[in-house]
Amino acid sequence: MDPSRITLRKFRPTDADDLFSWAGDDQVTRYLRWKTLESKQEALTFIEEVCMPHPWRRSICIDDCSVGFISVFSGSGEDRCRADIGYAVAVEFWGQGIASKAVEMAIPQVFQDFPELVRLQAYVDVENKASHRVLEKAGFSKEGLLRKYFYLKGRIKDLVVYSILSKDESI
Amino acid sequence: MSVNLDKSEGEGRVQESLEITLRPIELSDVDDFMVWAADDKVTRFCLWDTYTSKEQALNYIKNCAIPHPWLRVICIENCAIGAISVTPGSGFDRCRGELGYVLSYNYWGKGIVTRAVQMVASTIFKEWPYLERLQAIVATDNNGSQRVLEKAGFQLEGLLRKYRVIKGKTKDEVMFSLLSTDNFLV
Repeated sequence: MDPSRITLRKFRPTDADDLFSWAGDDQVTRYLRWKTLESKQEALTFIEEVCMPHPWRRSICIDDCSVGFISVFSGSGEDRCRADIGYAVAVEFWGQGIASKAVEMAIPQVFQDFPELVRLQAYVDVENKASHRVLEKAGFSKEGLLRKYFYLKGRIKDLVVYSILSKDESI
Repeated sequence: MSVNLDKSEGEGRVQESLEITLRPIELSDVDDFMVWAADDKVTRFCLWDTYTSKEQALNYIKNCAIPHPWLRVICIENCAIGAISVTPGSGFDRCRGELGYVLSYNYWGKGIVTRAVQMVASTIFKEWPYLERLQAIVATDNNGSQRVLEKAGFQLEGLLRKYRVIKGKTKDEVMFSLLSTDNFLV
């Protein structure tokens, strides 16, 4: 795919239909805390009440249509040097390097928007190999396997932790 | 529970037995608390700053330590020489507990904290049946603390680069964990 077609921008209410098409899909939300959306109305509410007020959430767009998301949550206090990144992409766009490209694009923006940030990290389910590859392609380093780290959708999970540092970033 | 001074740790000391006990903290422990909490050599690796007054210590003991979900002082002959705590996660993180400990400098190198950690590990999974993972995050340059966890049977899971800010510097830290299903000495 021509990479110039892939862009990141804030969510808009007009993204509701597109959001519903991928966030209404269990395969996409499988490893997310998100509840799979059940209607376009729910999608609109989700955009207005969650996505738009979020401190850092972007729609991954192809030709300006939403096909996924990237979110960053930053810490405070002793955790202020650290932030967590999460993402998902519609199934029809899996396996084409789109999530990797989106994450690569997000990294410099994130380090710029969070001036105290030194470490961007991601926790990925040990089973979610495709997501491991997204991070590796985007330049993250695998640091370890955290056993029985938390519950997701009722199951206790082993997670792999990946990170990229502000100094890893080549300008 | 007895701790034997090992020659390799004690630099040729005569073997002694130190009986350590764990009990809840009390306001009357404040002077003993200040022995470790006001010592820069001890607080160097701690997230919190060195205590500078008894009033500050009393405030901490009353408002944080006593109400804490699981905090004990480590005692020799009922005098507090340090503390150990497990902070539980909530919601999706309730399977996880964070271990922390601190010990007066003069008692370092005698296997005391290792023994205290073993005592905690042998009871906490029974007290909290939903707890599956006890974890500890230690700065890479805190060798003493890493040895404690290794000796207590924790597994090193990874090096987390620039994980937290400690005393104004971002530090590389190591993640250790002990699962309820792991084999560990009691």
